Amino acid sequence: METPETPDQELVARTQAGDARAFDELVVRFSPRLYGLVYHMTSNHEDTNDLLQEIFAKAYRSIKGFRGKSSFYTWMHSIAVNMAINFLKKRARRMTMSLDDLDNGIANDADFVEAAREFDPRHQANLSELQIKLNEAMLKLSHEHRAVVTMFDVQGMPHAEIAKILKISEGTVRSRLFYAHRQLQNYLQEFIST
Amino acid sequence: MPSEDQISKLLRLKRHEQPRPGYFEDFLAEFQQRQRTELLRRPLWEIIGDRFSALLPTIEVPRFAYGAIAALAVASTGLILLHPNAPLAASTTVASTVATLTLTSPQPVTIGASVPVALSSSGAPSVHYVLPTSPARYASSRSF
Repeated sequence: METPETPDQELVARTQAGDARAFDELVVRFSPRLYGLVYHMTSNHEDTNDLLQEIFAKAYRSIKGFRGKSSFYTWMHSIAVNMAINFLKKRARRMTMSLDDLDNGIANDADFVEAAREFDPRHQANLSELQIKLNEAMLKLSHEHRAVVTMFDVQGMPHAEIAKILKISEGTVRSRLFYAHRQLQNYLQEFIST
Repeated sequence: MPSEDQISKLLRLKRHEQPRPGYFEDFLAEFQQRQRTELLRRPLWEIIGDRFSALLPTIEVPRFAYGAIAALAVASTGLILLHPNAPLAASTTVASTVATLTLTSPQPVTIGASVPVALSSSGAPSVHYVLPTSPARYASSRSF
């Protein structure tokens, strides 16, 4: 029988009381999701790893100040997005992406191949080209637009949750998405069969 | 032009981009290692600063304190605005002290005791702004 998962709030309270192992559990629970968020904003695995370490370190240092006004999930995502945006601003001059940054295993991922089949068959032979183009298109967006696209399109978060994380209105989330999609439509039109 | 829905579908492909297998298993160990290293490396004042900033939100300030501070600020501002030229008590005291030292002071001050620096042929004192002697020479008489 599977044991029920300890609620985030309980783990937070235990961490605040000095139980470091409770925070370890939060790290295990949140790292895959936050990895996706940071990776799709930076498009670089090494940067993502360093940044994710810093994000959890910062969360651990400030967890005593967490009062539970938002969920721990929202709080963690806010820290991650803000730190990723600050990092991207500093890295602004290092925007070029090498092939080393690519996830080389993805072209052998059956799910990815199947999902990519829907798009222009001319490009089926070279899935890494599609991946490069996708990452390039994402990197052309502003940091704020990229954050919204990552959370909505890639991670599938609802508008309301994104608004809470970014501390902006839902209208602003929708407006950022609209402009970001317009830009992406131009960059990616060669991959869409019409 | 591709539709928004098509763009969203294309972007969803990025979900398949994952770190190397086993990455998340190693992540926690790396995190703990980094935490320990950081603790050893960080200066004491930084640790104290962190502890203090973490403590700040826990310090409870009674609600009436904010009201009292605001009321005090409003009262002070109001007083200043209502009496902008009101003299201060200290300046009044100084002014009264100065008023006693006028030209008609009952105690005369004698200056004639001193000898003038130089007298002209007419006997009237001439004022010298330049020293009458030749300037001192700073060229050293010694050679090295």
